[in-house]
Amino acid sequence: MIDLPAAGSALSLLSSSLDAWIWVVPGLLIGLVFGAIPGVSVSMAMALVLPATLYMDFLPAIIFLTSVYTGAGFGGSVPAVLMGIPGTSSAVATTFDGYPMARQGRHNEALGAALFASCIGVLLSYMVLFVLVQPLAEMVLKMGPFEMVAVGIWGMVLLGSLGGTSVSRGLFAAGLGVLFGTVGMNTAGYMRGTLGIPWLLDGIPTIPAMVGLLAASQLFALVNTRFLVEAEEDRRISLARILDGGRLVLRHPGTMLRGALIGALIGATPGVGSSISNLLSYAETKRTAPDGHTFGQGNPKGVIASESANSSSEGGAMATMLALGIPGGGATAILLAAFAMHNVVGGPRFIDQNRDIVYAIILSNFAQALLLTVIGTGFVFVASAIVRVQLRILIPCVLVVATMGAFAIEGSSAGPITLLAFAVLGWQLSRYGYPVAAVVVGLLLGRLIETELLRAYQIAGGNALEILNHPVALTIFALMLASLAVSVWNERRGRRAADAITE
Amino acid sequence: MRSDKFTLSRRATLGLAAGAALAAPLPLRAQTYPDRPVTILVPFATGGYNDRYARAFAPFLAKQLGQPVTVINRPGGGTVLGNTFYLQQPDDGYMIMMHSAAPYIPLSILLRNAPYKAEDFWMINLPSRDATLCATATTKPTASIDAAVAALKANPAALTVGVQPASADLVNLALLVQAHGIDRSRMRIVTYDGGGPARTATMGGHVDIGLVGAEGFLPIKERIRPLLMFDEEKFEGFEETKLITDHAKQHGFEPEFVAGSQRGFVVLRRFVEKMPERYRILEAAIERATKDPDCVATLKGQQLATTWYGPEASNRAYLATHRTMAKYADLLKAS
Repeated sequence: MIDLPAAGSALSLLSSSLDAWIWVVPGLLIGLVFGAIPGVSVSMAMALVLPATLYMDFLPAIIFLTSVYTGAGFGGSVPAVLMGIPGTSSAVATTFDGYPMARQGRHNEALGAALFASCIGVLLSYMVLFVLVQPLAEMVLKMGPFEMVAVGIWGMVLLGSLGGTSVSRGLFAAGLGVLFGTVGMNTAGYMRGTLGIPWLLDGIPTIPAMVGLLAASQLFALVNTRFLVEAEEDRRISLARILDGGRLVLRHPGTMLRGALIGALIGATPGVGSSISNLLSYAETKRTAPDGHTFGQGNPKGVIASESANSSSEGGAMATMLALGIPGGGATAILLAAFAMHNVVGGPRFIDQNRDIVYAIILSNFAQALLLTVIGTGFVFVASAIVRVQLRILIPCVLVVATMGAFAIEGSSAGPITLLAFAVLGWQLSRYGYPVAAVVVGLLLGRLIETELLRAYQIAGGNALEILNHPVALTIFALMLASLAVSVWNERRGRRAADAITE
Repeated sequence: MRSDKFTLSRRATLGLAAGAALAAPLPLRAQTYPDRPVTILVPFATGGYNDRYARAFAPFLAKQLGQPVTVINRPGGGTVLGNTFYLQQPDDGYMIMMHSAAPYIPLSILLRNAPYKAEDFWMINLPSRDATLCATATTKPTASIDAAVAALKANPAALTVGVQPASADLVNLALLVQAHGIDRSRMRIVTYDGGGPARTATMGGHVDIGLVGAEGFLPIKERIRPLLMFDEEKFEGFEETKLITDHAKQHGFEPEFVAGSQRGFVVLRRFVEKMPERYRILEAAIERATKDPDCVATLKGQQLATTWYGPEASNRAYLATHRTMAKYADLLKAS
């Protein structure tokens, strides 16, 4: 499936052109910085640099944009680990275990694990792209509404009990998130809950709401704490310990591979992407891990699962974009716009006629992943310095940056207002023991499930038996039930064994 | 000393000249428009057709106006947010919109209770015209529009139809099934919030047929079978596709349809009336830029339209779409 002559000419294309290389490092840095600002998403970082690419040649322009893509994919996890606030919506699951690790003084390891999981994730997903562009794209094209509902419900079921001690409170919080997700115009054109406010026509701005919820619940918990990391000797930033974190990734190849696979598949599916894939991968890893109960308390496997999935979504999304010419999400929509600006129409014809350019993009991304390990280590090294900043200085700074990010992404005060409103809500929820993360999950997955369920209903025309025509969806549901049954069975056996010992 | 004096007097002369220019009567000063950068407002996100058009066109407009031209995006709410923002700007001619004026402005008025009227906006030129294309995936059995219509006539629920709610496409679908006497309430209509998802669903065969803007189908032409074009003349790229006018003649009904997106430069009628001098300068600059051979070449290269229709024809087309939409507003609401 690899066209060797084209791969050869791609190599010579890359090696003969300096232009193709000088933009990689600036691109990665821009991505890292923007990705690390809470509220600025991957696609927004790319949209910001898009006008500049108008003045570059085609290949350097695309390489520059994919560098920003790769950099931002990891950048979001830096505040996720250090502050518990995801820099992008793709890093939500990274906060679940990354932040507890940081509070325990293991921020070096957590960031190292996140970085290496990201780099390997990018590498693996582009390898899949290199070998399987066409089959992967054909496969995800078959994912219709029924299949998407099944995936969404699976994620919801797995994440339902997230981070909470009480099931009923978790369900309440998730329900609240789903309800918030229904504000605005639904896919059938009905307007709901907008209160006559034009800024709510497209729904509650997801990213400011998410940052507000998580930031408030984390930052208020820090009242009366002087530093993020209590023990002074742990506040050191150590290259050796960052690399130790990287080694953790290699010690959990199964988690890494599962994350990369989920990421590539979900990333390739149009309409979903890295903000869903990191949650699904985290949930799956937690469910299957023997030490699943320690997830959420600083288990590095949680960080690896999340980061491997969100970074490998890039390769998946690129596969759909290159092979079919359709953008799976915001980031690939920007890339397609860059294609158009250079008089190139993405799609099946492009990949057939310009295999060398496609391979050059893929090979450049291999190089980007490797370069990211170096640049990312440097970035982590600098960024970790915030654990040495006193919280009374750090917290106001983070709030200001988050507010600016919220303004930037919405382009109006709607962003900061949403941030503030949801910060108050998040503070109250966490004060009374409701899991804030479940609200975020509800917000992210609820919209997907509702939209696809409505389409499934429209396709079925109200006939419930229509699902029999969708074997893939049925298979996903069957797998879900089987895996849940196995977990329940195991848990009961484990409890019985524990009972037997205490008796 | 002497040279110092000389400089001083030259400065004084310059100052006098500047003062004279400032003190000049109004009509004379109006001719200095534009004396600062002009902004193109795009009520959509970065990377879409309008955004690409504005960015590609900006340098050529800057050349004509003698001032830099910048592009800003204000997306959201089906252009309600961008339009409202634009209505709040001063009428000084320093901001123009690049807009899919039809059908977005009429739709926002009819379906989202937007606080403005269609007549508040003035079209300078709408060079880009899209049309609704009815298509099916190549993997699907439906061979022609007649086959699809026959199947739906026998059983309105025979085929699933993908379409965007609140769109020109939905109006066209409603008009077509009405002409054939098909009961729309019994049809299986599947709604997609965006042209991209609707095309993906059509191409992937999630729905049996889809009605979406034709332009976006061009890159994935190989994977779809075009069935019917809602236009009266051949559409570039889909020249072989049957036109609604021919289809209507064949079946003996009066063809009625609305154009897809009509995109181009838009200002406020208020500005045209208040500042006719400035408007004339702006219109002339856009016309010259549109006809500039360099501009034509650059835009063609990016698959962007460059025809100059002028304000008269553009306003007529825009208002005609608005009228048809208003006439069938209940069809849109009933989805």
